[in-house]
Amino acid sequence: MTRSSNTSEPWRVGVLFSRSGFMAVIEETQLRGTLTAIDEINDKGGINGRPVEPIVYDPGSDSRSYGLYAKKLMVEDGVSTIFGCYTSSSRKAVLPVVERLDGLLWYPTLYEGFEFSSNVIYTGATPNQNSVQLCRTLMELYGTRFYFVGSDYIYPRESNRIMRELIRHSGGSVVGESYVRLGAERSAFTPVMRDIKQVRPDVIFSTVVGEATTFLYQAYADMGLDPKVTPIASLTTSEAEVRAMGFDVGEGHLTAAPYFQGVGNDSNTTFVNRYKKRYGDDEPTNMCLEASYFQVNVFAKTLEKTNSMETNLMRDSVMGSEFDAPQGGVSINPVWGHADLWTRIGRANRQGQFDIVYESPSSVKADPYLLGYGRCLEYS
Amino acid sequence: MLNMARHDHAQGKRGPSQKPVGRPGQQNVQAQQKSFWDLNVAVIAQRDDDGERLMRELQRLRCNVRHIWPMPPQIPVQFDLVFCALTEDLPQRIPWIPGEPEAALVVIDCGEGELDLQLIHNCAAHGVMHYPATPRSTQTCVALARGHFLYEKRLRGRIDKLDENLRTMRSVERAKSLLIRMKDVTEEEAYNYLRRQAMERRVTIGAVANAIIDSHELLS
Repeated sequence: MTRSSNTSEPWRVGVLFSRSGFMAVIEETQLRGTLTAIDEINDKGGINGRPVEPIVYDPGSDSRSYGLYAKKLMVEDGVSTIFGCYTSSSRKAVLPVVERLDGLLWYPTLYEGFEFSSNVIYTGATPNQNSVQLCRTLMELYGTRFYFVGSDYIYPRESNRIMRELIRHSGGSVVGESYVRLGAERSAFTPVMRDIKQVRPDVIFSTVVGEATTFLYQAYADMGLDPKVTPIASLTTSEAEVRAMGFDVGEGHLTAAPYFQGVGNDSNTTFVNRYKKRYGDDEPTNMCLEASYFQVNVFAKTLEKTNSMETNLMRDSVMGSEFDAPQGGVSINPVWGHADLWTRIGRANRQGQFDIVYESPSSVKADPYLLGYGRCLEYS
Repeated sequence: MLNMARHDHAQGKRGPSQKPVGRPGQQNVQAQQKSFWDLNVAVIAQRDDDGERLMRELQRLRCNVRHIWPMPPQIPVQFDLVFCALTEDLPQRIPWIPGEPEAALVVIDCGEGELDLQLIHNCAAHGVMHYPATPRSTQTCVALARGHFLYEKRLRGRIDKLDENLRTMRSVERAKSLLIRMKDVTEEEAYNYLRRQAMERRVTIGAVANAIIDSHELLS
């Protein structure tokens, strides 16, 4: 597990993203982000002269499998660092394993916050980095009556709870709420859309994830609703999902994320070009892919210093470290082990890209327990 | 634990520890052993002389002992405590996720070959038994393994509870600020109102807070 002697033996790391099942659309891109970063590092001669060797398993969108593969990685493959997980249920399945066996999980996905573990580095957005501003922007642009639609598992329930607080504190209301099964079929959205048409909200806030995202937006389009009047707003619908549903279907809807492909800076241009060269010109990048990519780079920078994959050394060293990510400068917040990220809100255009309608002036500190937002989420 | 019994005894007038453990100490030991009674214990090991001795010691402690051999592909989960021979592939035979054990686990090291600490780490075991099983080593193994297992479980329970409390505190905060605004009362009065409602209705303060938040939503 810990080899710090003079050797050219590879640094072995675990990678857990689903390439099959209903989460494959987005997790496949996270896998690509991870492997792209690893290849780039290896092309430059590895870390302290040793290449990084990924051991990749496909948990097939099944939460329990994530726990079992995490155990396999740590016990059989002798790995201490794992990059992986999209859904909160899969993260919660891996958590006891890395905590008990003292590994380090790098988690590149936005989530509902309210978690802290010494054995996880969180590099996706928490609610104060996306929901707060999204709520503000939606109220400014569209109105105060919200309708919630989500997949039925931890993340949607929890982020809706937080969103509800934000909306109420800002004088808005939640006029309807529907949940569909995780991995729901197309037909599940017909009654939801009928309900929405009847209730006539100003905004639909969606926490639907995976393949069902396509069905939701398509059902919306089929119902003849107008995104200029009542858009769907989401924290999870990225370029990858928009491509899956069709550019015409996605046009006009909003997403809050730290990263969009359209972010204008040199680091991102290089990143996008390299990605397209490798995977094809019509392959878009997205926030989860970007987080997967930059977290491997943060890992590499850290390992260069520690020259050991021992979890406590890695963890101590990574805290406070900075990296020039495609989204802009990011850092690992030493208080929470979460990344300080940028807040952006984008509106999808006909090309399947997001036009940025809001951008934070600098990166926003992670506040997973919303301590800085205790009472006053006042609409300003 | 035996030491503590002896220490109690030494508190008496007869001076320090040379004296053999008398009746009160014996009773204490017996009381301590009572926690072993009817513990469901599996022994997954060869039934050689050492295995027999371990079984016998456990039976003497009044445990319900079941012997299982050859080693099953999956360690059964219905026991309180499992003694299991340490083999290369033991981690794969443990059906639970490390960190969420369903039984206390003691691995048996037969004392041959090189000691593999990584393997023991990977089993996330609660104790190690070294043959031969003496009354003393068996008792300490059972007591420590069981103690660690239960402690771990309590800690996990505490974390769950803390998470829940955190959510409740947020609800109470919000309900309080609603009451302050709506009823034009001080923070203290708002809090006392919540507490009184909870006591009168025999529900938690969190439940009252959530009800207020929900009804405010309905009314506004």
